[in-house]
Amino acid sequence: MRHVMQRIPESDPRPDPWRMLLIILCVLVLCSCRSAELQQKKPGGPTSAGTVMPAAAYGPPMTVENCPADEEAGLAEMEADPPLPYEPQGPWSPPGLARPWPPEEYLRDGGDRRRPADGRSELSGVEPEDAVAHCETADGRKLVVPSNEVRLYSPRFGAVRQVLSLAANEERSRAGGVHKREGLDAPTRLQIVAAAKQHVQLGDQSAARPPLAFYTRQGDGVLSEALPVRAFQDRFKPYENLALIRYGIYEQEEALLLARASEAALAWTHNAAVQVILDATGALAEVKYDASLAVYTVCTPPGIPRLRLVKTASTSAAASGEEVDFTFRFDNIGEETLVRVVIIDNLCSRLEYVPDSAQCSLEARFSTAANEDDSLSIRCELVEPLKPGEGGILRFRCRVR
Amino acid sequence: MNVFFIGIKRTLSLTVAAIVVSGVAGFLSQVSSATAQQHNPHYWHHPRLPPGAVGSRKLQRGGPLPGYFQPVEIKAPAGVQVALSKADCFEQPQDTPLRAGLLIGAVYRLKVTNIRLAEGVEVFPTIELIDRLYTPIGHEWRFAIPIDLTEEDLKLAAEGKFITRVIFVEDSGRALPVRAEKSSENWFEAAPGDDPLAVADSLGRPVAILRLGGRLPEQGPDPFFFFGSPPYITLPKMELPKHKEEGNGVQILPPPPSEEPLPSSPEAARKKNKRA
Repeated sequence: MRHVMQRIPESDPRPDPWRMLLIILCVLVLCSCRSAELQQKKPGGPTSAGTVMPAAAYGPPMTVENCPADEEAGLAEMEADPPLPYEPQGPWSPPGLARPWPPEEYLRDGGDRRRPADGRSELSGVEPEDAVAHCETADGRKLVVPSNEVRLYSPRFGAVRQVLSLAANEERSRAGGVHKREGLDAPTRLQIVAAAKQHVQLGDQSAARPPLAFYTRQGDGVLSEALPVRAFQDRFKPYENLALIRYGIYEQEEALLLARASEAALAWTHNAAVQVILDATGALAEVKYDASLAVYTVCTPPGIPRLRLVKTASTSAAASGEEVDFTFRFDNIGEETLVRVVIIDNLCSRLEYVPDSAQCSLEARFSTAANEDDSLSIRCELVEPLKPGEGGILRFRCRVR
Repeated sequence: MNVFFIGIKRTLSLTVAAIVVSGVAGFLSQVSSATAQQHNPHYWHHPRLPPGAVGSRKLQRGGPLPGYFQPVEIKAPAGVQVALSKADCFEQPQDTPLRAGLLIGAVYRLKVTNIRLAEGVEVFPTIELIDRLYTPIGHEWRFAIPIDLTEEDLKLAAEGKFITRVIFVEDSGRALPVRAEKSSENWFEAAPGDDPLAVADSLGRPVAILRLGGRLPEQGPDPFFFFGSPPYITLPKMELPKHKEEGNGVQILPPPPSEEPLPSSPEAARKKNKRA
């Protein structure tokens, strides 16, 4: 023991901060390795059980009354993960790639995948393969709800042909050599140089002469000192030097600084610190840590408008020429009556709408319009407002091209 | 005490080093694997590779390819008969369409006879599968790769031309908005200077190569002509399921009446269930 004590020098028993920093970096690297799997398990991605969970695709909640007795044991799990429609998946996908795979064998329809529908107009942001619903509340609020994605296994094949001409049953061989070689015999005429000029050597050689002396620079011998500004007034302080403070423009790069600033402000905020009164009514402050903003609003809390749109397909796989039924289930699960409910499904180029196949459980007006993929955009507008708790079904048929 | 802390520090250092190496290696392997699978073209293959070279190199890249019998459907004009090879000789010719399960990477020699307006002429095309379909469970035999032996191709082959057809799975995101014909798929012509495999790569994912013409069998047994006669399985013919007509339409029931509005969120639904 004494020998060991002599070999190991004395050092600081505290952990090295650089090593602790390295441990934190390693944990971050390992967390990034897990991110691909975690990304697959988000709503809309596959799960380990082989089904896919669209974000908006949960059905009505299951209660104890309508649940069979033998399924009560699994109720807790169903509450954690609501029942979802089945989506097809291939049996295998390369590690690190999301299912279903490969994507070229599947048709996508539904959802709002690329540019989001912004609701400025009915077709603004509704691209081929998208399916969204537009509606408004009685007080004029607009709501744009995308449906879930439906993936249909339907590979279509093409071919590239090339026609070449062949010399059949013939063998091409190179020339083996030249049979009659004819080389040069000899130079026929030699002409000897008759005379040569004698070059004159250089009589002298000029050389570059280096400078003999160097000029020197001499300083003034006195050091000048620049004095910085010690204090200033009426300027922005360092923690105020943010675009939000200076110009009122929220920039994403300053989110972290804003969060720190707002946390610091919250720590020093008293209950009676700032009182905002708008229209003779005390305003409510909505403070978020992630947004790091405090917005004062005066509101009589309205109901929450919410529309749920779920899309399903009649089959998970279809070959070219087959027909597939698509069904939308729309429900007003909010607390406001929704008016002018419009459901738009922009079909992709592989799907062809079967004429006069659209049906709706509620009174609705159907219309179609050509889209940029040389297919159709199907529009269904409900005639009557959709009250809270009400819902319906929209169904139409497509032929796979 | 100091010895204890120093020992902990050394252990921590070794642990950190191991974690860094394993973490970085795992991360790089995930990235490289995903990148390799996403970009999987055949541009580095020479267009004049012999039959079987592209498929065997595909097998070397890994994946669930070896031993998988990929269904193919050999189509030909009416009256044309096709015979597969077995044990270095051709079997009895069969009518088309002919469905069979073929191995990936192997080369299958066919004999095509009874060509219209060219009776007595035989053409010996080869089929090489270079990739497979990943069909959902339960639909493995339903979707087959179409191998089209068109009348034009057969006549060109009989005249001594060499035809290469690369069959690919069309990229559904860039699919042509045309209806697929049941008799043949959409096809494109590659210029003589182009590589048809590279052209097919740009349009989708190549899965099979069909070569016609250019070779006639030698007199007597020739195992090289049959490429070893790889095994295959015969599949029954399959017709497209016809959609059932549902009369005057589907009766859609109205939603069930509810006295109170449905919960506005899954969290509210769980709370309601717990209260019940």
